[in-house]
Amino acid sequence: MKLRYSLFTRRQFLSGLIGGWVGAFLASLVYPIVKFIFPPYKEPDEVILPLADYQDMPPNSVKNFAWGSKLGLMKKNDNGIYIAFVGVCTHLDCNVSYINEQRKFFCACHDGWYDENGINIGGPPPAPLRRLTLVIAGEEMIVKKESPEEAS
Amino acid sequence: MKKGIQAWLDERFGLSGITDFMTKKSVPLHKHTVWYYTGSAILLFFAIQIVTGFMLVLYYKPTLEMANESVGRIMTEIPLGWIIRSVHSWSASFMIVFVFVHLLSIWIAKSYRSPRELTWMSGVLLLFISLFFGFTGYLLPWDDLSFSATKVGTDIPRAIPVVGAWVTNLLRGGEDVTGDTLTRFFGIHVCMLPVFIFILLAIHIYLVQKLGMSLPLDVEGKQEKVKEIPFWPNFVFREMIVWFLLVGILFSIAIFFPPSLEKAADVMAPAPEGIKPEWYFLFLFQTLKIFPAHVLFVSGETLAVLLMVLAIVLFFFLPFFDTKPAGTKGKVITILAYVFILYALVMSVWSLL
Repeated sequence: MKLRYSLFTRRQFLSGLIGGWVGAFLASLVYPIVKFIFPPYKEPDEVILPLADYQDMPPNSVKNFAWGSKLGLMKKNDNGIYIAFVGVCTHLDCNVSYINEQRKFFCACHDGWYDENGINIGGPPPAPLRRLTLVIAGEEMIVKKESPEEAS
Repeated sequence: MKKGIQAWLDERFGLSGITDFMTKKSVPLHKHTVWYYTGSAILLFFAIQIVTGFMLVLYYKPTLEMANESVGRIMTEIPLGWIIRSVHSWSASFMIVFVFVHLLSIWIAKSYRSPRELTWMSGVLLLFISLFFGFTGYLLPWDDLSFSATKVGTDIPRAIPVVGAWVTNLLRGGEDVTGDTLTRFFGIHVCMLPVFIFILLAIHIYLVQKLGMSLPLDVEGKQEKVKEIPFWPNFVFREMIVWFLLVGILFSIAIFFPPSLEKAADVMAPAPEGIKPEWYFLFLFQTLKIFPAHVLFVSGETLAVLLMVLAIVLFFFLPFFDTKPAGTKGKVITILAYVFILYALVMSVWSLL
């Protein structure tokens, strides 16, 4: 079928072609720049800690460990069972602390509170602290990235 | 809409003066026009250096403990980091190549003559800044090779009587090349030199626009009018074709020949064999090597360094030695240019043997 009128002029066509080509070229330059400026971050699949470092913890206390580049918190309950958290407030990423007299986790940034199991109970935090799966194997404590529910 | 924004900005900045100038500016067309492209090629590589430099400095850590490791991280962990470093390293060499070609073309065409003396002198300063960029950048990966090359390079001024030792201490930030030198070179490379190069570049480019394009001798002498093309868009589009070619060549080389990274320098380790500076310092390196230990009553090194300083001073003030009016021939100066090229080539090749 022959169109009676052309949809665009020859100049428009050529300008579009060149413009598109220059655009594609520039995009190919911008792509590696954007890739480069975001460093890769990979959350660890698991972190292995020596049991000896945590054995002497009194009940109802926490001790830090490194969960990749985030704060990890190892908590020993009254019954001697260990649980592991990512010690980062779910509100705006501040590190939380455990106040053992009150049996609560506290975030000082915006007055956020979690109970001793990491459930958000006061202030702005929208979700509980993230739980990590903990397996004790011989002399090692293996912290895995799944939550305990996923793992079981 | 676009017109409206343009008018609004023009009212405040007075941009129309610049855009009018750009549309009226024309470039002479003759058999030596090809040399006019070298200036914008330098700017192209300089722009690439700025962009890749901005990127590398996001991850580079200028300390004794971290420098080598952080470059290693850029090469291995950061997405496409190896290409970025490779392009930065190669683009530096390309820039130096074009700086030399640009300079030699002006030298041989005698374009530095009145009224372009200051254009020449600002250009020579830009050459030294470019070389200093290269020299300071070479140390930053902090491996054996760059460490040793910097030891040698910063030791050279020591041969200058009276002020030499002081200059060496100033460069090194102490008696020896240490972590302080690394941090100092980093600061020079990313803070000081960029400021100086922008100021000089502004002066240089302003002068080129103010005084107009210089014509080579055999064109200037002719009676008939020289053919010209408009700078915008005709000449800029031609330049863009050259830029595309150069970018293609640069990226191809950068991808297939990325720079190496040796293990971190140990300040106590003996120098590795076959240390070499960057290629553009090879001829100076070899010149120092061939001077005998003693010439009459001075040390060979002192003599060599003093001769180099003398050559640099003469070179810088060239427009004031060659005061013939533009358009007249100058055989001696032309021969000197070719002698320099030959000397630099022979010495560079010799140093590699």
